[in-house]
Amino acid sequence: MVRPVSFACVFVPWFTVAAEERCDPALREQALVIVTTATMPARRPSGRKRTAPRTSIPRVVEAGPLAREAGVRPGMTETEAHARCPALVTRALCVEHVNAAHQAMLDAALAVSPRVEDAGAGIVHVDIVGLASLVGDEHAVAERLLRQTSAVGLHSCVGVAGTRTAARIAARMGPRTVVIPLGHERAALAGVDLGVLDLPARLMDTFVNWGVRTLGDLAGLPRDGVVARLGAEGLAAHEAALGLDGTPFRPYLPPSFWEEAQALDWEIDALDALMRVVERVLERLTARLAAARVLAGELDVHLDLASGQRHARTIVLAHPLGEVHPMLTLISLDLEAHPPGAPITRVVVSASPVAPRVVQPELGSSPSPSVRDLAAVLARLSAVAGVDAIGSPRLLDTHRPDGFTLVPFAPPLVGGGDRRLDETKPTALEEGMPPLALRRLRPPRRAHVELEQEADGCRPARLRVEPNTRVERVVVCAGPWRRSGTWWDGQGWARDEWDAALVDGTLCRLVHDRLSDHWFLDGVYD
Amino acid sequence: MSNAGDIIQRGGITEIVGRLSSGRTSLLLTSLRRALEQGGVAALVDTDGAFDPESAQAAGIDGRRLLWVCCGGRRDIALRATDLLVRCPGFALIALDVGETPPALSLASAYRLRLAVRRVDSALVILGRRPIAGASASLVVETIPCGPEWIGTTASRLRLAGACTEVRVRRAQGTAPTREPVAWRWCAR
Repeated sequence: MVRPVSFACVFVPWFTVAAEERCDPALREQALVIVTTATMPARRPSGRKRTAPRTSIPRVVEAGPLAREAGVRPGMTETEAHARCPALVTRALCVEHVNAAHQAMLDAALAVSPRVEDAGAGIVHVDIVGLASLVGDEHAVAERLLRQTSAVGLHSCVGVAGTRTAARIAARMGPRTVVIPLGHERAALAGVDLGVLDLPARLMDTFVNWGVRTLGDLAGLPRDGVVARLGAEGLAAHEAALGLDGTPFRPYLPPSFWEEAQALDWEIDALDALMRVVERVLERLTARLAAARVLAGELDVHLDLASGQRHARTIVLAHPLGEVHPMLTLISLDLEAHPPGAPITRVVVSASPVAPRVVQPELGSSPSPSVRDLAAVLARLSAVAGVDAIGSPRLLDTHRPDGFTLVPFAPPLVGGGDRRLDETKPTALEEGMPPLALRRLRPPRRAHVELEQEADGCRPARLRVEPNTRVERVVVCAGPWRRSGTWWDGQGWARDEWDAALVDGTLCRLVHDRLSDHWFLDGVYD
Repeated sequence: MSNAGDIIQRGGITEIVGRLSSGRTSLLLTSLRRALEQGGVAALVDTDGAFDPESAQAAGIDGRRLLWVCCGGRRDIALRATDLLVRCPGFALIALDVGETPPALSLASAYRLRLAVRRVDSALVILGRRPIAGASASLVVETIPCGPEWIGTTASRLRLAGACTEVRVRRAQGTAPTREPVAWRWCAR
């Protein structure tokens, strides 16, 4: 049984221009051209080449529809283009913009079908077999592809046919979607102009001289005759006119990282202006993440500086995010705390994608801060108190007093609050009475203790805690409770603990460090 | 007021005041546990870094649900952190431990905190030596130490068993849980 085939082609016309308009949507209303600087050797009057000096002449690489209406064509110098269109807007070719736009096209196509082929800048082939039950017929699939590419900032045309070549030609016919029924490719393409094949100029001239104007004319030529006269190039053109594919389908594998960049026309040294640029970069990045249904778990911000250096920051997100605003807040707070040392010429933001966790909250559970609010408040708290000063307390597996660490605050999404800091130790609540809390002194305060001899040993009698000069009398004390540990790795500790009630009513914990023979006030029971 | 839940006033500010060793920190930890046992999350702004994770564990507090903000003795940072937290919806309880040297909190700032807490339907508990929120506090309770409890017959076998505290409503807006002082007993670990 022959497997049915059906392909769609997503085509973005004037792709270099479209990539720039994606980064700056305001350019869509203007006559835009993309220019690149080409070096030309300066010529002597006699016409002989001279190696130096060279001149750089900006030339048009691609022209948008409004510029083309004014007569601007690729290959023109910028000066000639401005002469033809005084309202022309020029932008230098930015490879990062083009690469990011192409990647966005592929991501948008992958959101519709898992089998996608990268056919070059601005062209993506999509295998749409099997999507009838998920999306609908060919028209529905074409509309879905249009919506997906529009969501990532690109205006495209979609063609659907039985072969990739026919679908690509159909997409070029425009303006939105063209669907060619299976088996009718040759008939549907017969009237299309030969220029849609983008043939080499020499081959095109030959066909024009032969009177071949349309794909139907070319398809009507005898195949053997075309091969004999024009070789492999002619054969490829003949098969394209018939709507046949000359190469196998090569599925595209998505990259493992996500990145968006923005080159700046002038240097930026103010944080507010930089954040507006970063916001646009994040909008494109989050649109791609949303198209792939993933979230960002970590952000890498790279800023190219006017000094030639690069300022790189990594922002670890407490929760995976997919929204622009909390990401922008986090990046702004981080750059405020760690500003670059020079004006910025380029912004690159990349994200580490993570799959979102879908959690069903319990009916009776208490509300928790939303991911967005929590990320924003944690970022602001880090900026106020310091990154190392906020978190959830976690007890360490040690007998060393005050052994704990701070871990990033990430409350469990579901479940009750009956988990304790350390589940292995029973709580005083299990005995039916709330426990007496200790207020720690960090660091413990040095104390001077007068001991008095009793029948069973020395006990603290009077106490003075630095920097106070007042001496407190110890009314009652219990102890010592001896504790020690880690003597085997060179970081040993040994201490005697006393619970002491002072004459002013304070109930405190005194510690005698047996290694240093110093006394400390470790904490106060409260 | 035999229940720690009576102290937590959702949408308002509660102050727990008392001298050292009066039991105010133990009362705060019990209130935190009460707020967390429903599955919510809480935050503790610790001005002097006096929070003891071991005491919290003994009180049955789930550390994963507790956001601990250490302010390193900076009163201004503690107030700013509290201001940020009361504006974030979703926290069941926000506690501010101002330590032994309470910061100066203007009446306007206190009322701003109260409005923010009411807006997000959270509860703000301020722990300190004396009241600082003024008239903006919905409930002010005072802990009065009744003395430690020791067990053991001889000095060498003496052990701290616990402490007793009297919790009294100092001021309340609306209907107070109870005006009569309530005795609490705490067990030493």
